[in-house]
Amino acid sequence: MHVLASSSSPASSSSDYYEQLNLKPLPQSNLLASFNFRSNTSLSQFEAHNFQYFPRSLGQILQHVGTRELHLRFALGRWDAESWGARPWDGTKEGGTGVELWAWLEAQTDEEASHKWLTLTNALSGLFCASLNFIDETRTTRPVMSFRPEGDHSEDILENLQLLHGVLPREVVCTENLTPFLKLLPCKGKAGISTLLDGHKLFDASWQSMAIDIRPICPSGEECVLQIEQTIDMVLDIERAKRPRGNPIPRPRPGHELKCNTSKPYHSGDTCFPTDFAEGQEWALDQVFGRSVEGACPLTDPDVPPVCIQVPHSRDIYTTAGASEIKSPGGGSRCYQIPSNDGFSLILPRMSREGPDAKTDADELVPLASPPLYAERSLMGHGQERGGVQTILTNPSPDAAVEFVYFETLPWFMRIYLHTLRTRIEYYPPHQGQSQSQQIGTEAGTAGAADQQQQQPFTSTSGGEDSTDIVREIYYRPALDRVRGTQLELRVRIPPASRVVLTYDFEVTILRYTEYPPDANRGFDVAAAVITILEKGSSPSADDNGNGGKDMTRRGTSNLRTTGLLLSLPTPDFSMPYNVIIFTSTAIALAFGGLYNILVRRFVAADEVSEVGAGGLKGKVLLAVKKLAVLVKQKLAASGAASSSGGGDIKGAQQQQENKKDRGDENGKGKAE
Amino acid sequence: MPGLLASALSMRRNGSSDRLLRTLPPYVSLLCIVVGVVWLFLLPLDGYSRRTYISENALLPGQVHTYFGGSDQHVFRAYRHEIDALANLTNTEVNDGLETILKGVGLKVGRQNYTYHSAGETYAGENVYALLPAPRGDATEAIVLVAPWRVGSGGERLNRGGLALSLALARYFKRWSLWSKDIVLVFPPDTRTGTQAWVDAYHDAHDPRLVSPLPLKSGALQGAVALDYPQEGDSGRFESVHIVYDGVNGQLPNLDLINSVVNIANGQGQGSTLQRMWKHRGAAYEDRLRTMLRGMVSQGLGHATGAHSAFIPYHVDAVTIQPVSGSNGGRGWHDEMGLGRLVEGVFRSLNNLLEHLHQSFFFYLLLSKDRFVSIGTYLPSAMLVAANFTIMAISLWVRSGYKEVGDVEEVEKKEADTNNNNSTTVGAANGDSKISNSGENGKDTTTATTGTAVTTTTASKKAERHIFLPLGLVVGSHLLGAVPLFIFNHTPSKLLTPVFTVFALANAALPHLVSHYILRSSLFVATRQRQFYRLLKSFSLLLLGMFLSALATLNFSLALLVGLLAAPLTFTPVEPSGSYSLPVKAVFALLLDVLSPPAVVAAAATAWRFFGGAGAGAGQVGVGAVLREAAFGWDVWGLYTPLIVWCVWWPAWLVGSVVVLSSGGGGSGESSGARMGKKKVL
Repeated sequence: MHVLASSSSPASSSSDYYEQLNLKPLPQSNLLASFNFRSNTSLSQFEAHNFQYFPRSLGQILQHVGTRELHLRFALGRWDAESWGARPWDGTKEGGTGVELWAWLEAQTDEEASHKWLTLTNALSGLFCASLNFIDETRTTRPVMSFRPEGDHSEDILENLQLLHGVLPREVVCTENLTPFLKLLPCKGKAGISTLLDGHKLFDASWQSMAIDIRPICPSGEECVLQIEQTIDMVLDIERAKRPRGNPIPRPRPGHELKCNTSKPYHSGDTCFPTDFAEGQEWALDQVFGRSVEGACPLTDPDVPPVCIQVPHSRDIYTTAGASEIKSPGGGSRCYQIPSNDGFSLILPRMSREGPDAKTDADELVPLASPPLYAERSLMGHGQERGGVQTILTNPSPDAAVEFVYFETLPWFMRIYLHTLRTRIEYYPPHQGQSQSQQIGTEAGTAGAADQQQQQPFTSTSGGEDSTDIVREIYYRPALDRVRGTQLELRVRIPPASRVVLTYDFEVTILRYTEYPPDANRGFDVAAAVITILEKGSSPSADDNGNGGKDMTRRGTSNLRTTGLLLSLPTPDFSMPYNVIIFTSTAIALAFGGLYNILVRRFVAADEVSEVGAGGLKGKVLLAVKKLAVLVKQKLAASGAASSSGGGDIKGAQQQQENKKDRGDENGKGKAE
Repeated sequence: MPGLLASALSMRRNGSSDRLLRTLPPYVSLLCIVVGVVWLFLLPLDGYSRRTYISENALLPGQVHTYFGGSDQHVFRAYRHEIDALANLTNTEVNDGLETILKGVGLKVGRQNYTYHSAGETYAGENVYALLPAPRGDATEAIVLVAPWRVGSGGERLNRGGLALSLALARYFKRWSLWSKDIVLVFPPDTRTGTQAWVDAYHDAHDPRLVSPLPLKSGALQGAVALDYPQEGDSGRFESVHIVYDGVNGQLPNLDLINSVVNIANGQGQGSTLQRMWKHRGAAYEDRLRTMLRGMVSQGLGHATGAHSAFIPYHVDAVTIQPVSGSNGGRGWHDEMGLGRLVEGVFRSLNNLLEHLHQSFFFYLLLSKDRFVSIGTYLPSAMLVAANFTIMAISLWVRSGYKEVGDVEEVEKKEADTNNNNSTTVGAANGDSKISNSGENGKDTTTATTGTAVTTTTASKKAERHIFLPLGLVVGSHLLGAVPLFIFNHTPSKLLTPVFTVFALANAALPHLVSHYILRSSLFVATRQRQFYRLLKSFSLLLLGMFLSALATLNFSLALLVGLLAAPLTFTPVEPSGSYSLPVKAVFALLLDVLSPPAVVAAAATAWRFFGGAGAGAGQVGVGAVLREAAFGWDVWGLYTPLIVWCVWWPAWLVGSVVVLSSGGGGSGESSGARMGKKKVL
C-alpha cells in the first residue's frame, strides 16, 4: 500500500495534527475508505497537563491509571479477504467483532495492574458509551506472544509495564460509539474529512473498524511525543451507499433502468439477465457518504493532502472546483489538496466496457495485494454438550513460509481439551489432485504443567524447515471456573502453498441458573482469534517476553482476526422452576393429606365396625339416648309417684340431652361416612 | 387416598384377590386401549385442541412490507430461461451453470460431492451452494433457502420455478443491508440425498469417505425454507401454498415457523394447506381428523417428506413450501412474485430472531392450519396404549408367583420339584429363584402380621419363580430381531421382494417350530409349567410397554401405531387348557398371523399402491419399494423405524405367538390348518 508507507513515516515530524482520507475502489463495486487522524503532543507537555490537540478527556484517564500505551478497537462485519485482498494497515488497526481493548499499564504487581485495568475499563466505558466495564477478570488475559508494545519505551519503564487484553464479542458497535470518537478530534467532525463520517453510512458498511492507538514515540535526537492515532476503515457497497437517505429501501428499479445482458437470446422487454457487477458503478464522494467534505480542517498539516484515491492513472476523475490533484509518480494513486472553505467532492464516471474506447478492470482498479494468510474459523459438531473448533489457515504464497502467533481467549464455560489439539497440513498447488496430508498430534501431557502462573510454555522441538513441525510453541493457561477464561497462544509456521487445519475439541458446562443472560437461547459469543503474523527473523518467544520486544515494532507485524463464534450452551427450560414448584406443591398436598389421615385415624375393616355399633358422634348420641331411655324407664317403674323433685331434675337433663342430640344430628350429617 | 387404601385392604381381606387379580387386569388393559383410542378421536374437537398462535414475539410475521416484484420479475424470467437451458444436462454441468449465475450475483459459491450406498444402489451427486454474507454480521448465524434441482417423490419434476425464484431472491436479498444472519442458498440435485449430505457436512457429522466436507461455512443455522415449485408453463399461478413440515423420524419443526408461514401467506391473500388436505373446511371434525391422521401416518413412518426434512434432526427448523393451484381445479391469481414475497416475509421474520427458535411447541399434531393439539393433550393416548402392556405384564408377574392348586396337574409339580433338586438347569436360575423366593417369604411375614388369614377358596400357593429361561428367551428374541434388520438393510433392492417372501413364510412357521420343537423338547422340562408361559409373556409385554412408552415421547405416532397393532398380544391365552378352548386359540393364532410385522408391511405396501402415494411413480410399488425406502432411510437419513419394527415389535410378536401356540396342553397342533401344512413340510 503506497500511501500507507507515506503516511506512517511522518510520525517523527513535529507537526501536531494531520488527517487523511484514503479511498480505494474494490471489486464488485465496493469502496474502501480509510480515515486517519493523528495528533502528537510532547511527553513533557502531556505530563504538565498541557494537552493541546490531544483529547483532554482521554489524556486525564491515561494519566490517572498510568497507561503507557493503549489500543481500542470497535469493529463490525468481516473483511472478505478473497475478494478484497490484503487488509488496510496490514490489519494492525482492526479488531475482532465487538470491542477489543489492550493496554500497557505501569504496575508493580498483578493486583495493582488488575486494579488499574478495572479503573481504565470503567472510565473508557463512560467515555465511549460502550460496555467496556463488562471486561472483568474472566474476560481479561495477559497475552504472552501476540502483542508487542508499538511505541518506544525506555528499558526501565518497560520492566514495570503489564499488558492486559480484553474483548467484548457481543458488543454491537453503533452511532453512540461514533459520536464520542469524533469528539476526540480537533475539528470534531465540523470540518475536514471527518465531516464525511455519518453514522448512517458508517454503520451501513459491509465492514467497519474504528481504532484508537495511543503510544509514545521517541524519534532519535528529538523529544519524545505521545501520539494518538484515530482510524476508521470502512468498506461501502457503492450501490447500497448511493441510495438516498430519505429512501433507503431497495425497491426494484423500473424495468428500463436494469442493466441487462443483451446478448442473451431470450432478452426482451420483460426478460432481463442482469449484469450487476460486470461494469464499474459511477459514483461521487458526496453520493456514497451522503455529504461532501466541508473544506479542510484548519489545524491540519498543510503538507499532507487530505484526500487520496488509489486508482490507475488511466481512470477519469472529476473534482469540484478549487481542488488540486497530485499524481504519485509510481502510478496507482493520486491525492487532492482541497480548498479550505468550499465543499469538495470527487466524481468517478462510469467506465464503459463497450464502444470505441472500451475499458477493462485494469483501468478501473489497482491490482489487489494478496494477503499473507487466510484464516477461517468455525465450530464443528452438533448438540449442546461437546463440540470442536476448526481453524483453516492458508498460506497463499508459493515460495515463502509464514510464521504467526495464533491467540485465542475462550470463555471459562468452554473447556477445551488440549490433548485433542491436532494439526493437519495439506499442500495444494504443487501436488495438484492428490493433496498430501499428515496428522500431527501435539502432546498433551504438558497441558497440566502449564497451569501455573509462571509462564512456562511448552516448546516443541524445532526442526528447521521440517514441514511436520507446524506448531512451534504453545502457551496455554487453562480456565478456572468463574475466575478466568482459557488463554491459548500457538506459534505456528506454515510452509509455502499449503493449508493447515487446526482443530481441538471442547466441552461446555452448564451454567448456574442466574448466570444465563436474558437471551440464553441465542448462544454465547466467543471472541475472534487474533493472528499476529511475524516477520522473518523476529520471532518472539515467551522467554524474552517484555524485554526483548523492542525489535518488534509495529512496522514488523501484520494482524488478522477470524470471525467470532456462537456457542450454544445447554439451556434449561426457564419455566422449569415454576413447574417444579407447582408439581412439588401438588405432590406434597396429596401426600400430606393422605399421610396425615393415615397417621391420625384408626383403620378398621368394615365387618369389624358392626359389633361396636356405630362410630362417630351420631352413634354416641344414639347410645346415650338409648341409655337414657332405659334409665328413664327404670326410674319411672321404680319410683312411681314417690319422689317428685328428683324426677323434675332428671327431666331437665333429659331435655338438654334431647337438644344436644338434635344439634348433633344436624352437624353430624355432613361428616358421617 | 384413604379410599384406595381401604379398597386395597378389602382386596386382601376378602380373599377375592386371586379372582380379581385374574379377571381384572385384562379388563383394565382393554379399558386403557379403548380410552386411548377414544382419546385420539376426541382431539379434533374444539375443547381438546387449541388455536395456533405466535409464541416468539421477535418473529413478527407479516409485519413488514415486502418489495420483491416489479422488474425483479424480468430477472426471474431470465433466470428461468437459464434453468430451462440447463434442464437436460448432467449434475456437474448444471452446477457449473448455477455457479456462474451465483458468482455473477456476487455470492461466494461452494460445491460438495457425495455418494451414498443403500440396498445395493449408489446415490451420488453434487451440491452447489452459495453464501450471502450478512452485510454487518459476523458469520455466527445463518438462514437457509433450499431449492432442489428435481422435486417430487420420484424426483421426476424439474424445480424450475423454485430455482429461478431462489436466484432472483438471492439477487434481491443482496440489495438489502438489514440481514443480521447470513443467507445460504443450497441447490441439491434432489430432495432425498443432497440436503442430507449438506446438512451432515455442515455439522461435521458426515462420513468423510462418502461425503466431502464443505469448503465454505457460516454460523449456526437458525431456520431453513425449501422451495418446491415446478411451475409448469409460463404462468405457474397458484392459489395457496402447501406447507410440508414432517422431519426424519417424526421430528417436527418449531410450530412458530409453520405459524409464521401460514400467517404471512394469509396476509398476502394466499391460502395455506397441510398434509395434502386441499379442501379443508376449517371447522369440520372429519377434515381435522383426517389432517391429524395423515400427519400421524407421516410421522409414524418417519421418512423424509421433502428437502427440509434433513435439517430437523439437527435442531434447525425447516419447512418446504409448495404452491398448489386452486381447490376447485382452477388456478389462483398469485404468481411467482407472490411466492417470492412469501419467502421474503419468512426470511425477514427469521432475520428478526434474537434467539434460536425455542418458544413454541416442538411436539404437536396439526389439525388444520390454525388448530393444533399439544403434547400434553395427546400423549396420554399413546401412553395408555403402552400402559396396557405394562398392566398385563405386572399382573402376570404377580400371578406367576402363585400356584393355583385347584387345577394344576400334580405331575407337573413333581417334575418341577425333581428338576429343582437335580438342578440340571443353569445355576444362575436357582440363584435368581432363591432371591425371589426370599422376597416372597418377606411378603408372607408381612401379611401374617396384619393378622388375617390368606387361606382362601381357590387355594393358591406361593411358588418359586424360575425367571432365567423366560428372560433369556425374551432377550434372545429381541437380539434375534437384528437378523431381519440386517437382512432387509443389506439385501440388494432387486432381491428384496423374494427375500421378503421367504422371510414372511419362515416367519409364519417360526412360532410353530419354536413352540413344538424347542420348548416342548426334553431340554426344557420347566417349560411345561404354566408359570413359564406367564413369565415369558410378562417379560415380553413389560419390555414392549417400556419401549413404547419411551418411544411415545419421541415419536408419538409410531408408538401408538405399534401399540395398537400389538394390542392383541395382551389378550392371548396363557392357560394350558381349561378356560380357553381350541377354537379360541386358533382365532388368536390367526389374528396374530394377520397382525405379524411382515403381514402388516405387506398390507401397508398394497394399500400404498392403491390409495396413497399419489404420483409416487408407477415403478415403485409393492413390498420391494417399501423395503427399499426403509433401507434407504436407515442408511441415509438415520431412520429408526426399521429398528422399532424388527427389534421391538417383531420380538414381542414372536414371543406372543409362541405363547399362544404352546398353550392349550398338547393340542396346539390342530390349530390353523393352513400353517400346519407348511410346518409339517418343514
